Amino acid sequence: MKAAILTDTTKCIGCSECVIACKKVNHLDPDVPRRWDLDDGLSARNWTSVVKGPKEAFVRKQCRHCLEPACASACPVGALQKTDTGAVIYDSSKCMGCRYCMMACPYGIPRYDWDETVPFVRKCILCYERIKSGSQPACTQACPTGATVFGDRDVLLAEAHRRISATPGLYIQNVWGEDEVGGTSVLYVSNADLSFLTHDVALGSAPLPQRTAPAMNAVPYAFTGALAAMAGLSWIIGRRMKNQGGNQGETE
Amino acid sequence: MSRVRKLKFALWVVTGLAVAAALARFLLGLGGTTNLSDAVPWGLWIGFDVMGGVALAAGGFIITATVYIFKLERYHTIVRSAVLTAFLGYVAVAVGLLFDLGLPWNIWHMIVFWNPHSPLFEVGWCVMLYLTVLSLEFFPVPAEEWSALARIRRFLIQWRLPLVIAGIGLSILHQSSLGSLFLIMPYRLHPLWYSPILPVIFLISAIGLGLMTVIFESHFTAYLYRRKPETELLAGLGRAARWVLILYLVVRLGDLALRGQLGALVGWGWQAPLFWLELALMAVVPAALLFVPTVRRSRSGQWAAAAIGIFGVVLNRIDVGGLAHMERGEGFYLPAWTELAISAGIVSAAALAFLFIVEHFKVWETRPADPEADPLKLPEFDKIDTTWLGVPAVAARTMYSLAFILAASVGFAFLAPERAASRGVPPAPVHRARGGDTLWVDGNLNGYGTAFKHAEHQKREGGAASCVKCHHMNLPRDRDTGCYECHHDMYQPVDSFRHDWHSSPEGARLACYECHERGKARSAATAKDCSACHKDLYPAGALIQVKQYRAVGYAQAMHQLCLGCHVKAARQKGKPDLARCANCHKEGIDLVDAKGFSYRTRELAGARSVLPPY
Repeated sequence: MKAAILTDTTKCIGCSECVIACKKVNHLDPDVPRRWDLDDGLSARNWTSVVKGPKEAFVRKQCRHCLEPACASACPVGALQKTDTGAVIYDSSKCMGCRYCMMACPYGIPRYDWDETVPFVRKCILCYERIKSGSQPACTQACPTGATVFGDRDVLLAEAHRRISATPGLYIQNVWGEDEVGGTSVLYVSNADLSFLTHDVALGSAPLPQRTAPAMNAVPYAFTGALAAMAGLSWIIGRRMKNQGGNQGETE
Repeated sequence: MSRVRKLKFALWVVTGLAVAAALARFLLGLGGTTNLSDAVPWGLWIGFDVMGGVALAAGGFIITATVYIFKLERYHTIVRSAVLTAFLGYVAVAVGLLFDLGLPWNIWHMIVFWNPHSPLFEVGWCVMLYLTVLSLEFFPVPAEEWSALARIRRFLIQWRLPLVIAGIGLSILHQSSLGSLFLIMPYRLHPLWYSPILPVIFLISAIGLGLMTVIFESHFTAYLYRRKPETELLAGLGRAARWVLILYLVVRLGDLALRGQLGALVGWGWQAPLFWLELALMAVVPAALLFVPTVRRSRSGQWAAAAIGIFGVVLNRIDVGGLAHMERGEGFYLPAWTELAISAGIVSAAALAFLFIVEHFKVWETRPADPEADPLKLPEFDKIDTTWLGVPAVAARTMYSLAFILAASVGFAFLAPERAASRGVPPAPVHRARGGDTLWVDGNLNGYGTAFKHAEHQKREGGAASCVKCHHMNLPRDRDTGCYECHHDMYQPVDSFRHDWHSSPEGARLACYECHERGKARSAATAKDCSACHKDLYPAGALIQVKQYRAVGYAQAMHQLCLGCHVKAARQKGKPDLARCANCHKEGIDLVDAKGFSYRTRELAGARSVLPPY
């Protein structure tokens, strides 16, 4: 099963039960405003939050668990991993704190323990341990209105399409997360435009790791090519100089 | 004072400041000592120290290629200093990275845990390998001084060509991979800078910069040690540099045209002018200067072109590293003084190391005369009768030590302890709750509070007898102290205990031992509880029992007070809504208080949850 979450903002009443459940299950500290916080409510101590979108819609923000996550591709030590369950999880014992994942995430999700002397990256891990044992994430379990539900990605995607076609007047005809940056495991249907969840530029459907792939694939060729070219040049130039008779003895 | 000594003095001052900042960085963490944030996770240390530092170290591979691959023997005189600069530059980059990493002691993880998809993985490996190559390339120079090392030295010189070739390969990878780093963030980097060929653009500019740093460094050290600069030789490097810069201009503008971004060049935002400034400084002006033969051959012309070019390329690296990232409203970032001090300190320490090595080893044809030979003159006085004893010699090292220690002390003085103590929590003064029968409880007056039905609660809880359920009398014998008078910060606990009053003759006139036990350290931790003396501080039946001197933050106090009953009632009556945030923090309760002020509550969504997970 590819775990996924579908959030329907038309059903959300903004009660923040999901936020509280998340804090409880993940043993997160009580949150107070910090200098380094963004104003979306997410922080190292809040892995999900409810924000007000356009049209007064309540929108739950959390890690999107991309199908091809930019953070996992960026992490130089592989501390972030996309697991078979669908969750993008974080191994704090590998992390060295470069914060490249925070720079790479198109949704600006990972947050940092800025106040700690031993800081880690913090973000939603889709309650990995719970879904592995057959349970569901704390947030979807706590939702009193069924605005955010847990299930298989294909099933939820079908459900999302069923909802937006059943009441076309209510919903915008788009399932957010269906194919943006290669698709995400956290899907949204809404009556409001949810493009504010990302940076200013509209996201394409190409996964972000594909942007780096050409450069990274070229590395072995560039390296061997450069070595061969330099060795060859050195040999040719050296031979030509010898032939001209001006033998430069390699001196210090 | 000689030029060298003045410079060293200044470098030791900066290094001293940096040592204070560096200690703070590791003792207090990144949040307390930098201005980095969740919106701007990379700052000056990545933009300048790492990206700029690697670019500045490009001179090493350029000159070794010129001498050992293209066999232009006349450049042999500058090869040692170029390799030394590159080596120290890479050491500086590695040290800068240790400051920026949140968990610098885990830096070796890159050797064991591999992710070849990550450009940063490539960057890390290139730094490690090229640093090794550079140290092997430079090792024969200090090894000259000890005959015991002669065999190793001969071995390294035999293997120099493979080393040089490996160094060039690694440099090409490394210079370009710093560009690859940003390929994954098209949504952050402005389209004037973001390009799929960013690695190529970085490599070309690094080659141009490498040539210009060698020119600049030769002139600067010549000025410093009053040597004759190799102006003739450097003109040759200038000739090459101008074509590299022209190539850079063509590739950069061509790339913009192909991507259809030429329109952005005349935008009104701050990015377009920044782009023009950067392009002018790093390519247009230096190339134009180097195309004029008289300028190219003159000492000041070379100096100016190189200095402008270096500034431009470093600006370019800082732009890509963060300055040219698109604004996200709250993304404003200005480096803290500690960040600036550490950056400048790393450069200063590297410069001091450079000066030490050129003075003690044979980096140039002739070793510079010992600039410390002429000691500094300072007045000295007799210790007893303060007679002036004339001007004795003060050794340079004494002066540097003094500069270093004084600067470090000043640095420590400027560290703001409250910044660390607050753990990044901004001070939020609390305002008095307002209203009559319905209280407006919103300490920070931002609308996210609640309209508390005081009269209703009072009636339900049992009239006047119920006061003590929620109120404790903060000050002895005081019956109307407002909550905000002790819980006077929204989120931070504050000390509400007045020690000076308790000990002063005008106040309680208490001797130390009446609260602090004899023979123990006198601190709040070892003192008596308030209630040990103030027996009637809490009326019988009070729900609140404060045991220590610190009052919790206002928000926490209010939450604990209300939620305690609400959670219990929600369970007992089977009404879960009672304990939900939105039960109290809901939108649109209009309230006009006794004085005629009107208020309106806002919905909690969007505000942070300050709840402890109950």
